[in-house]
Amino acid sequence: MMTLTSIQWTDGAPIYRQLKERVIAMMLDGVLKPGDALPSVRQVAAEYQLNPITVSRAYQELADEALVEKRRGLGMFVTEEAAKKLMHSERERFLQDEWPAVAERIQRLGLSTEELLSKGAAK
Amino acid sequence: MNAVATNEATGAVVSARGLRKAYRNRLALDDTSFQIEAGRIVGLIGPNGAGKTTALKAILGLIPFKGDLRVLGMDPRTQRDELMREVCFIADVAVLPRWMRVREAIDFVAGIHPRFDRAKCERFIANTQLNPKLRVREMSKGMIVQLHLALVMAIDARLLVLDEPTLGLDILYRKQFYQRLLEDYFDEQKTIIVTTHQVEEIEHILTDVMFIRDGRIVLTSPMDEVAERYTELLTSAATIDQARALKPIDERALPFGKTVMLFDGVPRQQLAELGETRNPGLADLFVAIMKGTYA
Repeated sequence: MMTLTSIQWTDGAPIYRQLKERVIAMMLDGVLKPGDALPSVRQVAAEYQLNPITVSRAYQELADEALVEKRRGLGMFVTEEAAKKLMHSERERFLQDEWPAVAERIQRLGLSTEELLSKGAAK
Repeated sequence: MNAVATNEATGAVVSARGLRKAYRNRLALDDTSFQIEAGRIVGLIGPNGAGKTTALKAILGLIPFKGDLRVLGMDPRTQRDELMREVCFIADVAVLPRWMRVREAIDFVAGIHPRFDRAKCERFIANTQLNPKLRVREMSKGMIVQLHLALVMAIDARLLVLDEPTLGLDILYRKQFYQRLLEDYFDEQKTIIVTTHQVEEIEHILTDVMFIRDGRIVLTSPMDEVAERYTELLTSAATIDQARALKPIDERALPFGKTVMLFDGVPRQQLAELGETRNPGLADLFVAIMKGTYA
């Protein structure tokens, strides 16, 4: 089984995108709130052992999507509208990418709406 | 001095053309050419005896060689002294005199290197288990590398050459080594060339990779282009013939009837129809490209 573990199928996405997703997840979880500073490129590079170009690229995409903004000499900050933007795009993404697979699995397992809702409510 | 002008214009830190070095009857560098741009972290990766250390020694002006080589616009054969102001080096065989204390090592480098920043070095040392009175012979291998790194990072050099810098270190020291390098040293004005066998550990740190085999650079590419160019495909019996028709450069069977194939330049969308795709790790790519080296 060594071969299987050493393969480590990632989702096949480039590292910068995985890093970007990670930051977005932190925003969605409320760990990063509007006005919060992102750690510097250097800190992230050192901590996650990535080259700084990868980190900059992730940050640049976040900035392009107006989720973070650069303040000269101070670094990157989460924008005020980030939360709203994300909620919208994440809903879209869930319905597009994740939901079809989940729905298919629910159907395959023969789960009823009542069963799903009662479990969901219990939590 | 046309070559110098061209180098400066293109921002190449190292440019080699027709580089050749023979030891007795064996060619360590076989008419090879490559270029390294500024602000990159380049991994020079190859099997034992492929010519890695010879290439680095040529860049550092430590050996005679044939061909054209420019490092920071200088010829390492004739301008070594000048070059050494701009270049730093940590070797796997790095040796510091065993009687030397940390303080004395700092004094020594401060005395010989015009670009050494003593305060900076002391700050780096303060973040380690080292103290000024400690002698080299009392240090573990990991601590010696910490000292080396602190000395070297305090020098404002444009090119840092690392030859198996973390050889023999445990994983904590290895991680710390690259952490320090990224946090306290590297920026877009600096260039790092590193050789290592621990490919998986540094592959995300690298901006560029060069594979060397039998004295020749067989692959040189930015890492993001590697990710675009090569794709690994997990196929099953149903699609294996279709996948083989696309000419994988490597193939290996896995348990449960699956096969992993490595493709060079085949569009990922096309492969995705035949199974699960992903970016190959540098280690897998290395193994595939070096196949038959020891045969």
